[in-house]
Amino acid sequence: MDHTFFLAMSYGATAIAIAAELVALALGRKRAWKHIDEERELEAQD
Amino acid sequence: MNLFYLSSPSTFFHFAGRLAPWFFVLAAVLGATGLYVGLVQAPTDATQGEVYRVIFIHVPAAWMSMFIYFVMACYGAMALTFNSRLSAMMARALAPTGAMFTFVALWTGAFWGRPTWGTYWVWDARITSELVLLFLYLGYIALANAFEDPRRGDRAASLLAIVGIVNLPIIYFSVQWWNTLHQGSSVRLTGTSMHVTMLTGMLLMVFSFWMYAIGAALTRVRSIILERERRTRWVRALRPA
Repeated sequence: MDHTFFLAMSYGATAIAIAAELVALALGRKRAWKHIDEERELEAQD
Repeated sequence: MNLFYLSSPSTFFHFAGRLAPWFFVLAAVLGATGLYVGLVQAPTDATQGEVYRVIFIHVPAAWMSMFIYFVMACYGAMALTFNSRLSAMMARALAPTGAMFTFVALWTGAFWGRPTWGTYWVWDARITSELVLLFLYLGYIALANAFEDPRRGDRAASLLAIVGIVNLPIIYFSVQWWNTLHQGSSVRLTGTSMHVTMLTGMLLMVFSFWMYAIGAALTRVRSIILERERRTRWVRALRPA
């Protein structure tokens, strides 16, 4: 039996899951800074 | 140094920022070495052939899924007991990484089960209790974000994390308590039945996943701190790195 498919699906999915989490971490950081900038703008308007 | 020096979000924010990249570097180095040992150096298994090489991600991911949950529940207990903000933030920061490792353990287990057992899924005690762990993580994340006041979300989710810890011994001992299709532990404190090269590759991957989890949690907790403390003077004085 050729096991390449099962190994590729396992390692491939793991790589995608880790990459997705790293992207989510970067997006979370970007979102946090965006909220801080919004607060700063509101404060400047006041 | 004061014992509670790092429990201040502002201090921990900078501390985590300095450490996180090093944990990612360590994870990459250990992971590359572990994959080389596991996929190139380790011999083919006598009974399972090449497909056993799923072990180099399945077992580390499964161990990390349980370990991260334990650490998350400990942070939750500390948040409830001492009403410490940073503990609750750390628990929140760990949950997505724990859920990701639980998903990876279940997914890779399915793709290991198909060629060895003849099925992707079976309602076996070990696999089902691991699925319950994934639901606990998802429930924790949903509950933590269900409240407008994040501190209320912290308290509710911490309670769920503490209650859910009962699932960990069920996962670990399920292969002993019930007659399961899932195999028993190959690695115990008393010894192992694995070839030394296989064990080396697997342990390198365990440490790689461990370093990755710490790096990811430290990175995520920085974003959580920024969101929660965005009205404070110290955050407003910050500039994006």
